[in-house]
Amino acid sequence: MVTASRTSADHALAGASDGTRARQPTRTGLAAGPDGVRIAWEEFGTGSPTILLLPSTPIVHSRQWKAQIHFLSRRWRVIAFDGRGNGRSDRPTDPTAYHDDRIVEDIATVMDATGTERAVLVGLCVDGVWRAIRLAAEDPGRVLGIVAFSIGVPRLAPPMPHYATAGKTFEDELPTSDGWAKYNRHHWLRDYADFARFFFSEMTTEPHSTKAIDDAAAWAVDGSVDVMLAEHEAELPFDLEAVEARCRAVTCPMLLVHGTEDRCQSISRAHRLAEITGAPLVVVEGANHMIPGRHPVLANLLIRDFVRGLDPASRVEGFR
Amino acid sequence: MVRVRAPEEAATERRPATAAGLPQTTARREQARARYPDSTGFVERDGVRVFYEVYGTGEPTVLMLPTWSIVHGRIWKMQIADLARRNRVVTFDPRGNGRSDRPSTADAYAESEFAADALAVMDATATRRAVLVTLSMGAQRGLLLASDHSERVAGAVFIGPALALQAVIPGREPVDTFMDHLDTDEGWAKYNAQFWRRDYRAFLEFFFSQCFNEAHSTKPTDDAVGWGLETDAETLIVTDIAPGIGDRDAILARIARVHCPVLVIHGRDDAIRPHAHGEELASASGGRLITIEGGGHIPNSRDPVKVNLAIREFIRGLAGGS
Repeated sequence: MVTASRTSADHALAGASDGTRARQPTRTGLAAGPDGVRIAWEEFGTGSPTILLLPSTPIVHSRQWKAQIHFLSRRWRVIAFDGRGNGRSDRPTDPTAYHDDRIVEDIATVMDATGTERAVLVGLCVDGVWRAIRLAAEDPGRVLGIVAFSIGVPRLAPPMPHYATAGKTFEDELPTSDGWAKYNRHHWLRDYADFARFFFSEMTTEPHSTKAIDDAAAWAVDGSVDVMLAEHEAELPFDLEAVEARCRAVTCPMLLVHGTEDRCQSISRAHRLAEITGAPLVVVEGANHMIPGRHPVLANLLIRDFVRGLDPASRVEGFR
Repeated sequence: MVRVRAPEEAATERRPATAAGLPQTTARREQARARYPDSTGFVERDGVRVFYEVYGTGEPTVLMLPTWSIVHGRIWKMQIADLARRNRVVTFDPRGNGRSDRPSTADAYAESEFAADALAVMDATATRRAVLVTLSMGAQRGLLLASDHSERVAGAVFIGPALALQAVIPGREPVDTFMDHLDTDEGWAKYNAQFWRRDYRAFLEFFFSQCFNEAHSTKPTDDAVGWGLETDAETLIVTDIAPGIGDRDAILARIARVHCPVLVIHGRDDAIRPHAHGEELASASGGRLITIEGGGHIPNSRDPVKVNLAIREFIRGLAGGS
């Protein structure tokens, strides 16, 4: 009855994995920075300015921006990269590889490799916000603006109490692995996937978040506990005064976005950063830490309007 | 049945050290799904291979039927991980897209062939009975199964069912100019074999803009266009002219032979298949109708929380009532 049947392999798209992305990258590459660690980047679309989506910690990788990439790349060139330690980037297990300076260098490395002189930086949490601020302060010519989600600027306010408590016993063998006791070296080594599920459940407490939690926990398992332990040992070589000085030195436009229920970064840090820089702060009622993943329409419209605002000429009729 | 490697194994990368010689761990795969299948395989009938995936455990099994071959099994991406927390979930790619084969004759895409594929997948996965979940065209093969193989169907969920029932959407009256060369490609004139051959992507973009007529739908639209591009115009043309399941009388006669519980979910503003079809299916089958106010044709993508909760509640009701 069937006379000819082409196989699905005949139709496999070059470079497309299994139909799981709304948009495939136009270019990809591996860029080696000053310390030789290779960073995997992807480029989508065309149009100025370039929007650079920054990594958060190596607990996730660049798929954390899955709800932004296809949307922003309808109008602009978008570059995303896997932070060192997860995704397709190298995964050093030496704590020195996660020094603050190395993470800032990675941003510049990707910009150099992709021929990006200047970009709008979009980031979340410490690696996404603090490191964007550092680059903008130290090399202002490269940063057109910053959209900062879930303000991870250390020292501006005390860490969340559960981090402070768990941090004190991180190295200890604990009698329990309930709740934040999972934030512990021995539990990570025993059952890192369990920690990841717990962590992202804590970070995504909005109702109906199973997909967002499952996605993020899976990205964590893509990475490795050895990397997480190495990254955990990296210390911040800045005191409060030095942190505030860097924040004050930022001259580009900046938009701050923070949820009232954020369980990773205290909203006091967002208020303090707004105070120091004069940047507008959008407070999202009821939102926890993972705003771009859990509230993508809001996040996308905020980024879009911010980028449009940088250059009124970039307004386009009918761009949804 | 042929066992294949799971995608994550296929994508394994191995790197001994960083370029700088630092020790490092290795990547396993690119993570692009909230949950990967626990097992996968192919069934083969008449030389056509159909790819299936199985997720999770827990009775009853939920069989997510494929819809029109313009998309593949990923159309259920917002359901799989959530439903698989409680139930065993089986999906398969329709012949014509995804990892299934693409036969080149219309007969190979008869609704009865899709229904037979579903039974073959159930056999291969040792699924005696299942709750069927269908979308759009999937209603036709779902109805074949529920009426002719009632012993294997514990319940049936019809989302935006595409059945030739009463009422049409203005501008979408049935036409028989599908194979003709038209002098326009405005609007629904794009639903035409010659246009598909000229600009398949433009058809996909138009079609899914009509499917996702809710605000803020860029992501599901771009996802679906991408899936559409995994097949091609010639394949989709033969699926369109393939034998269906008959006219309204034939469909109503089949509905009368459905004895399992039925849930119909239909968007009030569905621009592909009128809400009235969902109403008629629900009333003819004695099933329940849930209307998604403001919803379009593919609420499982656009309103996944509502749809997932409705399916979850429907499955719970089956256990309580039987």
